[in-house]
Amino acid sequence: MDIRSSIAAQHYAATRPATAATKPAPGGSSALETAAQDFAATLQNGENTTLAAMTGGADQVSLVQALAQTELAVETAVTVRDKVVEAYQEILRMPV
Amino acid sequence: MNELANVLAISASGMKAQSGRLRFLSENIANADTPGYRRKSVSFENELEAGRPTGMVRPGPVQLDQTPVERIFDPGNPLADETGYYDGSNVNLVVEIADMREAQRSYEANLKLFDQARQMSQGLLQLLRR
Repeated sequence: MDIRSSIAAQHYAATRPATAATKPAPGGSSALETAAQDFAATLQNGENTTLAAMTGGADQVSLVQALAQTELAVETAVTVRDKVVEAYQEILRMPV
Repeated sequence: MNELANVLAISASGMKAQSGRLRFLSENIANADTPGYRRKSVSFENELEAGRPTGMVRPGPVQLDQTPVERIFDPGNPLADETGYYDGSNVNLVVEIADMREAQRSYEANLKLFDQARQMSQGLLQLLRR
């Protein structure tokens, strides 16, 4: 057997896994789920702290902190949603 | 994001600690003329979670200043003993004012850091928008 063809065969064999269909990442949906749960928990914490501050149970510093975190969480969610919608519209506009 | 959220929590704990300190300062100043009053001071300590410091600060136990109280000569006062003296407080207003200014500056530093962390997270999000 020609040595060059065997080396080429080895290289082909080595690169075959790269073209194989990739399995979906196992933690993909659960990571999204965790992010959504974090978001909901942050929002809940903000609401609870606001309620406590209105009824005298929490001080203003906690209120400001909780509201700042809620604001950032909502901004993150809105930005990601905008990006997703934009990508979807981009796909829809694709000429077929 | 998570680190910046930690920064928010830590600087908020610093602001809470300084407010607590200011509270005892106001007690001291309000009671500067109370007979027998001893100045309260509070020391800060690291907040522990499961035995490990979290980086947050919290006010420690309140301590009473043990320097001797001022003896005031005023025979007309109903609290005066047979020698005409009575116990004043050991609050020194100059020390209280200096302490108050320190609390204010520290609070401002924490506030600045809080704002900075918030602005940094918002700036990061701004990258995603156009």
